[in-house]
Amino acid sequence: MAAAAGPAVRCSLWQRRSLRCGPGPRPVPGGGAPLRLCSTQAVPQAGINKPVIDRIIRVDHAGEFGANRIYAGQMAVLGRSSVGPVIQQMWNQEKDHLKKFNELMVAYRVRPTVLLPFWNVAGFVLGAGSALLGKKGAMACTVAVEESISEHYNNQIRTLIEEDPEKYKELLQVIKQFRDEEQEHHDIGLEHDAEATPAYSVLKTAIQLGCKAAIFLSERI
Amino acid sequence: MATRWPGATPYSPIPAAKNLPGGGTGQERERKVVSKGNQQYPPLRALQASAVLRRASDEHKKEPLASSSQQHFDSPPAGHQPEQKPQGPHPSYTGQGGQESEDYESEEQLQHRILTAALEFVPEHGWTAEAIAEGAKTLGLSVAAAGMFRSDGSELILHFVSECNSKLSELLQKEQKLVQLGEAEKKPIDEFLRDAVEARLRMLIPYIEKWPQALSILLLPRNIPSSLNLLTSMIDDIWHYAGDQSTDFNWYTRRAVLTGIYNTTELVMMQDSSPGFEDTWRFLGNRVADAMAMSSTASQVQSTGEAVVQGLMGAAVTIKNLAGLNQRR
Repeated sequence: MAAAAGPAVRCSLWQRRSLRCGPGPRPVPGGGAPLRLCSTQAVPQAGINKPVIDRIIRVDHAGEFGANRIYAGQMAVLGRSSVGPVIQQMWNQEKDHLKKFNELMVAYRVRPTVLLPFWNVAGFVLGAGSALLGKKGAMACTVAVEESISEHYNNQIRTLIEEDPEKYKELLQVIKQFRDEEQEHHDIGLEHDAEATPAYSVLKTAIQLGCKAAIFLSERI
Repeated sequence: MATRWPGATPYSPIPAAKNLPGGGTGQERERKVVSKGNQQYPPLRALQASAVLRRASDEHKKEPLASSSQQHFDSPPAGHQPEQKPQGPHPSYTGQGGQESEDYESEEQLQHRILTAALEFVPEHGWTAEAIAEGAKTLGLSVAAAGMFRSDGSELILHFVSECNSKLSELLQKEQKLVQLGEAEKKPIDEFLRDAVEARLRMLIPYIEKWPQALSILLLPRNIPSSLNLLTSMIDDIWHYAGDQSTDFNWYTRRAVLTGIYNTTELVMMQDSSPGFEDTWRFLGNRVADAMAMSSTASQVQSTGEAVVQGLMGAAVTIKNLAGLNQRR
């Protein structure tokens, strides 16, 4: 009797915020009160599907962080070339995205992925490496990454809509807007002759595989 | 340890279950115990457990248990009311809100109450099934209720830790409200951390004699996931209220540092015999100061590192220029 009670008791009595619905075994803090330092509002934690939102914000934050580093790498090599301004403009938009996810991360009290230092380096190396293949190489990298990210954002939008479009309205809006901007970057990349890169399909497949792996890991770790 | 009643043993189906008063309502109640709550909990045992407990409460009401079922009809409702009246304000933790009536207590709520009641017997009996049994007795239940829990007292300890963490959360939330209303000064981070850890550790003082035993039980492999969960959520709470808004690797560094401070201070507290634990609080203050110094050192190292990198980049550009490599593409 006690043995059967064990797992049941353990699961319910002191599982922390990962419980699905409203009142948990302990009072959840941050009930709507504004945070002290910056302008982010703490989101009331009751009633949201914490595990799903955690994953979404964590992986999106990691993604935008990685995208930032990729553009930084590309700028380091191609900053003074003719595509410099184009890359700079896309980079600025990614910086805005990252800032927004930083705010969301604090508001929803989500932990960042442990792999951030790794994405820091890997992103820069990818950006610089693709830029060393030339302007077309850099654009090909942009196309591959932005296509991955757009698809990924679409998946998240579907997930959130399945959950509860009303409850997650703000988050849905943010993700939709960012997906549209990433799609723009993808189109800009295509305009700048990304497809004319030598070994374009190989490069694209390899980069997209890497992105899928990054997304998988960042969601969990 | 199970008491025997006429016509029933704890491990055989209770024959009179269907004759409980209110006929259908009684049955529905039995079924509700079975269906609600954790799906993993075998329904038959839940049925027996609750029936066992209810029978025990009958016993304590000193109703002579005649073999005629007539008296069975009368006692359970009387036995139920005092048990269930305080249940009104308790939220159900099972998440099956729509199906239960408000005055019905879930399995978890019952366990919660038993464990809370058992805490006052811990200084005497330790974190054991005896303490749980004593706690159950004060609630008017049979000592067999302790059979619902594991024999090493893990649930009792985890319950206690969870309750302490909740209390700490509430305390920190209250302080935060005062600061927002302008009625209190915002504390500097080292003072905030020190006060939060001290407040949390002070909750151990009534149980300090038996706490080493509890710590060792929490380190059992079976309990490690739960106890780690509770520890990390507490540390995260403290940092959240301290105003931590880091979204990079600092998030992990800070929590790791605070966990280290908390654990070492807890251990120091175990063998502290100074009056009012002043040695412990002094130790805590020193560790927090160390952590602050470490973080400022870290940022100094980082800025030095950055300066060095800048220097190297400058040197590289100079060499490129000298070698004539720095041409426009």
